[in-house]
Amino acid sequence: MQPQMARGIADTASKPSEAPNRIRRQSDRGWSYTLRSWLGLIPFLLFCLLFEILPIIGGLAAYGVYNLRTGWLRNLLIGFSSIAANFAGVPLAFAFVATLGVTGFVTVAIQNWFHVSLYDHGFSIYQFWGLVMVYTYFQLPLMILVTLPALSALRPEWKEAATNLGATNFTYWRRVAFPILLPSLIAATMLLFANSFGAFATAFALAQGNIALVPILINFVVNGNVTVDFGLGNALAVGMIVILLIAVSFYTAMVRRANVWQGR
Amino acid sequence: MSIGGTTSGISQRATADNYPPRNSRLTRTDRRSIGIEKIMLALVMLYLLIPLGATLWFGLDTGKGIDFSIYQRIFADPDFSQTIITSLELAFGATILAVVLVTPTAYWVQLRIPRARPLLDFLSLVPFAMPAIVLAVGLLQEYSGSSGPLINILSLGLVPLLSNNLNIVNTPPLLVCAYVIIALPFVYRPIDNSLRAINTTVLTEAAYSLGSGWWRAFLTVILPNIWPGIISAALLTFSTVMGEFTLATLFSIYTFPIFLNNVGQQDAHRAASLAILSFIFTLVCVLGIILLVRRRPGGAAGQVDIAAAK
Repeated sequence: MQPQMARGIADTASKPSEAPNRIRRQSDRGWSYTLRSWLGLIPFLLFCLLFEILPIIGGLAAYGVYNLRTGWLRNLLIGFSSIAANFAGVPLAFAFVATLGVTGFVTVAIQNWFHVSLYDHGFSIYQFWGLVMVYTYFQLPLMILVTLPALSALRPEWKEAATNLGATNFTYWRRVAFPILLPSLIAATMLLFANSFGAFATAFALAQGNIALVPILINFVVNGNVTVDFGLGNALAVGMIVILLIAVSFYTAMVRRANVWQGR
Repeated sequence: MSIGGTTSGISQRATADNYPPRNSRLTRTDRRSIGIEKIMLALVMLYLLIPLGATLWFGLDTGKGIDFSIYQRIFADPDFSQTIITSLELAFGATILAVVLVTPTAYWVQLRIPRARPLLDFLSLVPFAMPAIVLAVGLLQEYSGSSGPLINILSLGLVPLLSNNLNIVNTPPLLVCAYVIIALPFVYRPIDNSLRAINTTVLTEAAYSLGSGWWRAFLTVILPNIWPGIISAALLTFSTVMGEFTLATLFSIYTFPIFLNNVGQQDAHRAASLAILSFIFTLVCVLGIILLVRRRPGGAAGQVDIAAAK
């Protein structure tokens, strides 16, 4: 029973080269075991840090919404962003299966128009990059919604003063607006990171546990997929809390800095 | 500077509607150049709309053309009605409990200890530091009867009572309380915004000076004024609980998202139609928030909070 238990957890958590080590270390259950399983999940951490790309796209899109002069279109886009940000979870996973799955709409369309089969080239919605695309769906509107108040706190008088002193558009953005916006952007990034780090339903509904993510591993261990091991589940949860506390403390520090310039 | 009497540019506050002014140097004079932000916005909106369209098409198309009978079959499914009713009950319970708990608290804090507001803001960030999965693990450990003496003392004996005598683990009441914890930031933020938008202290003091007690002042004076915040909080909680999957899985209670997940593992077309139903439901909730909040001048203008059902 013991080697089976170890192999079961090893399948979901580590690279294949670590499997023999895992079985050998089965007896000394301690924090070293948890540390090992955490190291095996570093790709997952990288996955969340990948959301550094999102703030750029989301910030630019938010600026686009902010700059819209037609009021009804702006309100419509804000409303749609909040709906899309709220759509996360099980329905989103199946929406993406319907879009980019093996017989999905976009997959079939690309096959018919460009005669390129996505799945033959190794792309899969059920792997790492597919999951990144699905997470992006609800992270981008969240970024837009969180950045809009920061952008509307940029006073037009600053832009006028900068132009008055001879600054070009680019100089204004580089010297005046971007440093003021930077705390808000970092706070938004931390919020996105915390949001995606704790997201479980989307990943679980998409691949039913074939992706190595910490929440899915916690679910396996607590729900008795191979065995019920509350100790490992608790340890993983504490690790999650530590990382999230770091992110949330960054968030509050940045919000406090941003409030200086936003005058609240 | 016209004699006709239009206001000069200095005294006119530059809002988003009249800035940049039409004939100033600051407008984008070269109309042919579209800024990169508009392109990015268009791409983002396209990325958000394509899966919705694809899901709609995928759900209706069963290979023989558009077929609406799939919805008939969905509604005839007994599991569907059972899980919808369970989810609705949980959502109503959690919403009522959350609103009833938080509204008087927020009002009391605003009135008596406004300096404690940063503490409450920080507390409302806790569900971001402790996502649903971590909360579920903690609650399962706590109420399964193996909690240590420290917790027993700190909770004034309630935890052993609930876990040993009343056997509360894996039951709907515990799930409702967990939902309240998760929805706490989304309930607190709109109500706090509403309380800050009206002049709470002055209204309360006026009510007191006219002879009403605490509860009467709260129920008849403050509550009608913060109604947009309460509606917003209630709708956000409702839509969060209806879409919440993590806690229900770990507590083994059969709610609608779990039904959706099970269906999706077998039949992707039915799952796509159910996903569209879910989306329409979320759409109705958020539209309700936007419309109801905008109706009153006391509501927070345009700031719609986000609930992530994950």
